[in-house]
Amino acid sequence: MTTRRFRLDDLVGRMVRDAEGRSVGRIYDMRAEERNGELAIVEYHVGSAALLERVGLSMLRLIGLHRITPCKVPWDRLDISDPDHPVLRS
Amino acid sequence: MKKGLQLALGILTAIGGFFDIGNLVTASQAGAKFRFQLLWALLLGTIIVILLVEMSGRLAAVSKKTIPEVAREHFGVRVWFGPFVILVLVHLMTIAAEIGGIAFALQLLTGISFQLWALPVGILVWLFLWRSTFSAIEFSTASLGLITLCFVVAAVWHHPPRSDLLAGLLPSLPSDDGAKYWLYAVGILGALIAPYMFYFYSSGAIEDEWDRTYLGINRIVSVTGMSFGALITAGLIVVAGMVLFPKGIAVDSVNQAAFVLTEAFPFWGFALFAVSMGIACLGAVLEVSLSLAYTVSQTFGWRWGESLEPKQDARFALVYTVGILAASLLMTLGIDPLRLTIYTMALNAMMLPVVSIPFLLLMNDGHLLHEHGNGILGNLATGVIVLISCVLFAVSIPLVLLGGG
Amino acid sequence: MHVIRELLDMQIVDRDDEHVGRVDGIVAELRNGEPPVVVSLELGFVTIARRIHRGLEAVAERMHKRWSVRRSARYRIPWSDVMEVNTHHVRIDVRAEETVAFDWER
Repeated sequence: MTTRRFRLDDLVGRMVRDAEGRSVGRIYDMRAEERNGELAIVEYHVGSAALLERVGLSMLRLIGLHRITPCKVPWDRLDISDPDHPVLRS
Repeated sequence: MKKGLQLALGILTAIGGFFDIGNLVTASQAGAKFRFQLLWALLLGTIIVILLVEMSGRLAAVSKKTIPEVAREHFGVRVWFGPFVILVLVHLMTIAAEIGGIAFALQLLTGISFQLWALPVGILVWLFLWRSTFSAIEFSTASLGLITLCFVVAAVWHHPPRSDLLAGLLPSLPSDDGAKYWLYAVGILGALIAPYMFYFYSSGAIEDEWDRTYLGINRIVSVTGMSFGALITAGLIVVAGMVLFPKGIAVDSVNQAAFVLTEAFPFWGFALFAVSMGIACLGAVLEVSLSLAYTVSQTFGWRWGESLEPKQDARFALVYTVGILAASLLMTLGIDPLRLTIYTMALNAMMLPVVSIPFLLLMNDGHLLHEHGNGILGNLATGVIVLISCVLFAVSIPLVLLGGG
Repeated sequence: MHVIRELLDMQIVDRDDEHVGRVDGIVAELRNGEPPVVVSLELGFVTIARRIHRGLEAVAERMHKRWSVRRSARYRIPWSDVMEVNTHHVRIDVRAEETVAFDWER
């Protein structure tokens, strides 16, 4: 099993592109779960709604925007072999 | 019983830390040049600072975290780093201005140049921080700070015309020297809404172990403490307006401001001014130095707390040590305390968006504040404060350049 | 758990609630055919420098070599040492005095 170390904080703010090179959105958060005593990243939250969720969800209650849910990408659909250029797998 | 003591202490500390070289300089200049016309700026600034201080206390009491802690956790180090650097800079400038204030007060009393006093004063301040506990500092700044009530006494003694006072509380346009008028208005606001006030207050609330049962006290302390401080500042504006304005004396150096008490207190007015200034700046410099140490330690997650032995939180102590040392050396070089104060106040005013916008976001976070977040009214008020902050951000530097400082 | 929102930049405390530092960085392991796994938490000025701007990391490292009191530029806490993560802090299973955090105090 090949493994490589990388930083999660490097991923924050990185633009996710699809196979054709189109911009999908930036990564602003990740959801993780405990699996077999380890903390596994199961989902990436991408796009402006994710950013708002991270920083200012509180304010959105006032404007009623909190119902917009962020774009959630499952771990197996994001290719981060190059953490600086995440690619969405189809 | 403990709460009662906390209340008294809190109010006194608020008074003690409120009035500093910034208020002193901006108030005497405003009163000397424009009499009572700028009282509205004082009123506006007081309302804003009461709201922000109350929010700082509420945030600390409910979330059990201080402003820098919450800011870094909420926004991330990348976003917080810029504001952090600016805050540190403003703190250092303020410490230098306050040390300059104490040194200048000593110059007024002894005739010996403030440049020679700067380093000894710095060492004294440092010793006090190194050896004291938080409550000792609270108590001393509080009780000593009461001497500044002399400005209120003098103001009452002068019997200012009530109608003129009330007219001053409403915004008006100056008849001439518009640039200076607005510069002084910005200066007064900057002196009142200094970042160290909230940062110190929120850390102080944690040092004093406030919790949700202190929310009532928090409200009382913020309103009465800040109002009393504002009253003292108003006293100075009025006295300057009654003594210096009729004679056409402008306050271009602290020397001129020192005469404001000589009519109400004929024999010792000059000395009283100097002592008041020295003590006010002493109280303030302790708070600003601690605020600097709190902000840096909390941002990086170090151990912090004034009541700990310096051995136990070496980095926290190192921050205020370096800060005081740097500031003292700066003043030894002979920088004019008045000029430095004006620039620092303008910078304070310019930086207000950095201080107020986080409040708008953080005070609505349900995770932090549970049911104690800002309601609609609170958000409206904060929104207005943010708007005013943005205006101040835009006009501060141009006004300093135009108004000639 | 939302890793960026709830873990990154949080205060780290030890068994006795003493402050150790903050989560300045998070190191993960990329695995073939499995989700990436969090390996360690990272502390240090160098880590912060990298987050602000990649270029600053080298500058910070040079500064560390010259002036620092600490044993290592980057301090890593293995995920296995993490006892709990809540809204207030991240608790780790060591005593702060043993860590790099207290090199200054020593």
